[in-house]
Amino acid sequence: MEVVDELKLFDDQLIEKLNQLAANKIEYWDIKSGVGIGTSLDFTDQKSKEVSSYELIDCGIRTFVNGGWGFNTLQDISKPSVIEGFKQAIKLARLSESLCKNKFKIKERDALITNFKLESKKNIEDIHVEEKINQVKQQEKIASKYSPKIKNTHTVYMDGYGSNLFINSFGSVIYQELSLIRLFSLVYAQENGILQRSVNSVGGLGGFEIIETDQAKILGSKSAKEAVELLKAKSPVGGKFTVIMDPKFCGVLIHEALGHAIEADTVLNKESILEGKTGTQIANVDVNIIDDPTMGQGKKYNLPYELYGSYFVDDEGIPSQKTEIIKNGILRNYLHNLETSSRMGVSPNGHGRASTNTSKPQVRMGITFLEPKDWELDEMIKDMKNGILCEDFQYGYTDPSTGNFQFKCKISYLIKNGEKTDLMRDVALSGMTLEVLNKISAIGNEIGLSDGTCGKGGQGVRVCDGGPYIRVEDVTVGGLN
Amino acid sequence: MQDKPDFYSLASNALKFAETKNSNLKCAEVYFGKSKFITIEIEENSVKNNEMGSSLGVSIRAIDKRGSLGFAFTNNLERKSMEKMISNALGMMNAGTGDPDFKDLPEHYEKYPSVKGLFDKELKALQIEDSISYAKDLINVCKEDEFAISQSADFSSSYTKAYVFNSNGIEINGKVTSCSITSNIIVKDKVSNETSFGFDWQSARNLKEINAIDIARSALTKAKRNLNRIKINNMKVPLILTPNGTISLILSPLASAINAETFQYKRSFLIGKRNETIGSELLNIEDNALMDGALGSSPFDAEGVPCKNKSVIQSGKFLQDGLLHNSYTASKEGIESTGNAVRSSYSSVPSIGATNFIMKPGDFFYNEMIRDVKKGIILEYTGDSPNITTADFSGLILQGNLIENGEIKKPLNETMVGINLFELFNNLDAVSKEFKIYGRYQAPYVRIKDVQIIGAAH
Repeated sequence: MEVVDELKLFDDQLIEKLNQLAANKIEYWDIKSGVGIGTSLDFTDQKSKEVSSYELIDCGIRTFVNGGWGFNTLQDISKPSVIEGFKQAIKLARLSESLCKNKFKIKERDALITNFKLESKKNIEDIHVEEKINQVKQQEKIASKYSPKIKNTHTVYMDGYGSNLFINSFGSVIYQELSLIRLFSLVYAQENGILQRSVNSVGGLGGFEIIETDQAKILGSKSAKEAVELLKAKSPVGGKFTVIMDPKFCGVLIHEALGHAIEADTVLNKESILEGKTGTQIANVDVNIIDDPTMGQGKKYNLPYELYGSYFVDDEGIPSQKTEIIKNGILRNYLHNLETSSRMGVSPNGHGRASTNTSKPQVRMGITFLEPKDWELDEMIKDMKNGILCEDFQYGYTDPSTGNFQFKCKISYLIKNGEKTDLMRDVALSGMTLEVLNKISAIGNEIGLSDGTCGKGGQGVRVCDGGPYIRVEDVTVGGLN
Repeated sequence: MQDKPDFYSLASNALKFAETKNSNLKCAEVYFGKSKFITIEIEENSVKNNEMGSSLGVSIRAIDKRGSLGFAFTNNLERKSMEKMISNALGMMNAGTGDPDFKDLPEHYEKYPSVKGLFDKELKALQIEDSISYAKDLINVCKEDEFAISQSADFSSSYTKAYVFNSNGIEINGKVTSCSITSNIIVKDKVSNETSFGFDWQSARNLKEINAIDIARSALTKAKRNLNRIKINNMKVPLILTPNGTISLILSPLASAINAETFQYKRSFLIGKRNETIGSELLNIEDNALMDGALGSSPFDAEGVPCKNKSVIQSGKFLQDGLLHNSYTASKEGIESTGNAVRSSYSSVPSIGATNFIMKPGDFFYNEMIRDVKKGIILEYTGDSPNITTADFSGLILQGNLIENGEIKKPLNETMVGINLFELFNNLDAVSKEFKIYGRYQAPYVRIKDVQIIGAAH
């Protein structure tokens, strides 16, 4: 695989020069640089609001010595500017080191010299913008025509492809070519002064085949159908309920309420409720939770592309891998980057991720899910006297220091004596992370994943989360009434 | 690439190139953004990372006679790359749909208002070594406290310069500096083993206004005030919002609801309320871009239109001209832009945003407002925000306390507030003289009567 012209400056001679500059001054360094090209289409009410394209080159240099980090992002990229930027980055790390009290070493790893290329069936760069626009127009048209109650439609298409190079002081040289697409549909419906909205999205790594799947094609009509249905929904009555969560809701619970607390950087910073809890029972024995962002999982879900949260290597050159987070209810592992794994004396598990080459890696999730068991959804509903079925979510938030969380559900049904009854909107569920994991009383037999962008420290990274339908006892439901 | 590109000739060449390449072009705009920054990061109450960086980029907005908009950006300012960007934008423009609502880009302005204090020479020249004292201040506050167990914090400063050029004769540029401090402190009660966090931040255009010790102390106070939480029963009581609470429940949703784009797409809860009283006479809101030294201030907006000071809500009445416009939404209504076009960087198309968004102070002292409450709740932080379309709010109190007999008591766990914003606006019964500035927001303490609180106590 041949490196693109813009990145050819990172040759053996330059790497040798950087190693000389680093010698005796810093203990570790890495550089990420890349070229990215992309398109973004933003349509409202079947008209284009924004049709745009970009081409960017970026470079971030990271340096480390004895507990202190430095990071320098460059505005133009040439051999002299990289060398100059590298010298500055060395100074930054040494300055950090002179002030930091937590001294530690980064554990040396074997060099990884490899190339990765994501195969796609229909390369994004071969698709004309007209064809992309047609797809968006089609989504808009279907959504607008769904019902006279549709007030407003909004569709956003984003694609990007590019080449990235990672080099570090272990001798790693990793070159990758990736492409991705994400499509959003937002529809508003109105009736008798009530306005309701629904948002749906699909995303993946690969080519134009991502938005030619059945799942993508129905996106606009799905949003329209949900927005119209929600017009008839009732507001919930607050109280304590048994709740069935669908795979999407289960995913957001696993990600928000538990996932952020098992990121080892929050553990070290004493912001996690799970500090010191590895090896202890934190959930009931049927609960198994995994993070597995490895490539090749799309086919498990009958998708002709790779899952949105997957990656070959993380942004510190560590290969993605399957990690057991909770096994039979016992907390097994935190998620790590190079720093946290070095400090906690374990192997890194490939979770040092950054949103761009000009952002420094943090500990982030990849594809996080609860493993299925044996319940049928029908059985869970039939077994329920007075409860709520929650499908899909709007948003959620968690206080990491206490584990107190709240999630807003998109579509909910009241369940009475084993039957789905009233449709409800804006059901808000709240609870405490460590309590809710022990209140899971049934786990479904089929897993579903959804994709999204997870925000932390000002950076957004691609993730997936999910699980099967689950039943949770004794959940606080808030409402206006 | 040159060290100091001549943006004027780059822009004029770009505009000429666009005109000759496409005869359907009606107008075009070229925008350059340049910035540099430094950041010191603290984790586990120790310096962890020093960061610096710079960026420079350009974008073009091209609109044809049908009103179709093409946009492209790049961070490579060499001629070949800029010409490719322009060709891309024109291609995008050709592919887009027409929009009869688009009239034109803004015309040349003779005069711009003068706003002082947006650029601090000292701040622009600041080196990372000079910023260490701020980091040390933050660390010391945390180190000297027996409850504090950790802190993540940062100090950062930046310098940005923007240039706007369009084919209608706009040629304007401006430079600003800013610096900010954030502090997030974790505390632990050694007896109950309970932990909690407190967060505070400050942002300013001028280095002299920044005080790291105050910010860390405030974060610490908030963290301690949130220790040993209790669950409460449902109740209907007065709710006091701290300035942060006022931003979450009043200012931020209003800023979205009066965004002319949200309004024109009929997504705002204020539709049909223009010229109507929507709340208590204590509700007074303005958007003022012309305050000297303020973070949201600027003489011109992201399209090169002069900025203003505008009243939005006066004594509870939502004014007829209380919307925030860019040139597109304004021409849709047949009026002048209010100078509220914003863009986060050269890489984004101008959207609409508030400048300095202000709730005017009232007549009460904060202490009096608390003292008068027999039983109530004070809310500092919720992770939630009201629904802009329905005005409904139902959110978890992540930082809030019970008030009993005029005193702030225990913090709350698993407690929710449910209220509609119109109800909130109408039930305002006190606004404080004291106010705080957080970035673009200026907010007082406010008190709202009869608010439904949902607790988790059995």
